Amino acid sequence: MTANFTSFGPFHVDWISWAPTVGDGIIKTLEFTAVSFAGAIMAGLLLALMRESPVVPVRWLARIYTEVFKNLPLITVIFLVYFGLASMGLKLSVFEAGCVSLIVFYAAYLSEVFRGGLASIAAGQREAAHALGLTEREVLARVVVPQAVRVVMPATTTMLVDMLKSTSLLITIAAAELMTVGQLIASTTFQAMEVYLVIGVIYFVMCYPLSMASLWLERKLKAGTPLSPVRRRLIGEIRLALPAAAAGGQS
Amino acid sequence: MNATRAAAEQVAASSASPDGHEVVIRAEHLVKRFGGNRVLDGIDLVIRRGEVVSLMGSSGGGKTTLLRCVNLLEEPTEGVVEVDGEVVSKDGHSLHRARRVQLRQRVGMVFQSFNLFQHLTAAENVALPLLRVARADRDEAVARSVELLARVGLADKALELPARLSGGQQQRVAIARALALRPVALLFDEPTSALDPESSQEVLKVMRELSTQGMTMLIATHEVGFALDVSDRIVFMDRGRIVHAGPPREVVFGSASERAREFFAGFVRQGSQAG
Repeated sequence: MTANFTSFGPFHVDWISWAPTVGDGIIKTLEFTAVSFAGAIMAGLLLALMRESPVVPVRWLARIYTEVFKNLPLITVIFLVYFGLASMGLKLSVFEAGCVSLIVFYAAYLSEVFRGGLASIAAGQREAAHALGLTEREVLARVVVPQAVRVVMPATTTMLVDMLKSTSLLITIAAAELMTVGQLIASTTFQAMEVYLVIGVIYFVMCYPLSMASLWLERKLKAGTPLSPVRRRLIGEIRLALPAAAAGGQS
Repeated sequence: MNATRAAAEQVAASSASPDGHEVVIRAEHLVKRFGGNRVLDGIDLVIRRGEVVSLMGSSGGGKTTLLRCVNLLEEPTEGVVEVDGEVVSKDGHSLHRARRVQLRQRVGMVFQSFNLFQHLTAAENVALPLLRVARADRDEAVARSVELLARVGLADKALELPARLSGGQQQRVAIARALALRPVALLFDEPTSALDPESSQEVLKVMRELSTQGMTMLIATHEVGFALDVSDRIVFMDRGRIVHAGPPREVVFGSASERAREFFAGFVRQGSQAG
């Protein structure tokens, strides 16, 4: 560690020639994140719906799954999927193993988020919509889903950021993502401090805008700001139709 | 010729009372069972156009279930429910999908907990059924929403989200929303039970205005004063049966039913002390 301090200083590493390697690492990280997140969302939604199933064993299956994966370290899951399955004769590629690990792990968390989101839409909301004569599809499309999305949005984006950072654990199976690339550069240049700082900054630059965008979206949704153009136009027309006193008045 | 006329008259008679007022809601030997529990135990009830009928009685007596059987939020187990001349449920067979949706457009419902769509502004709550159910064009939906909000005194809150409105205001928006599709009748499920006295008065004032405008209303309520004042009839329910139905003063002050006398005793005592 002290040895690293002596070599600490701006840019002792030739980053220009490393740039393509770093670029590949960034792309790999984003690939892992994108594929795994899409998969985890689908699996999480499926699990959340299973938790609501009228069939008791289905409910229990989802429940057990969720509890198991919520209480295992991600790295254990990665080793089980990559080394464990291989020892049983099922050899997955690094990319497959990485994605499968992230999906099965994050699906458990996301299913809890989604379950909470669906449960948070009070039964009264559906009933009121039904009582107005909306069809089942309209009830879902106009009342349940828009509200559930608002509820799960913040926790879901937090999970996305968390997953992006967790891809770094795939270094343990040499997944060629950003952290693995960092280790390669560090071991070649012996500039661990500088290399890992730069790698850290890159992770931050990828994650921070996501976190900020999520907060921004959350604020907008909370304030009732219409995000779709259709809704914006409707609200604009309502404002125009209001009696002058009401339109300009308190709000 | 005569036979045809007789048949026509017979049909007319089934949906019109002797004084010519059409029947809007009819329940005949209506039974609703939840498991082994008969929540409605043979209800016979006729509501005519323009009538205001208050359903009273202790909680668990079946008032809410009766309302919910009218717009098929609950499926009646037995008996007949007729709305606006159409049989909507008979012997446990209720209207399906498309026709059920049509029925609900003709009967508005106001809930105890308002149930405004939380992600939409007051005006959008009112506009939603117009746009999505009545398929009105946007100009028409906007104009009617604003007009309805003005009618309940809330034009200035049109662009507020429900969370920023008081309970009384939310309930008034809910009434405006229930009126959007020009229903033949409104069902109120304890509309003021979740409100403080002042907010209750706001809501009751709107309901009073609706009654003077001739709206047919079936109201489950605990507001004895309001029921006395506004309704044409009070129907007193206990354990799934109608115990006493009649003119409001008769039911509140002179019921032969012991349950009804017990129920109204507090109100009667208070009234006599105040008087």
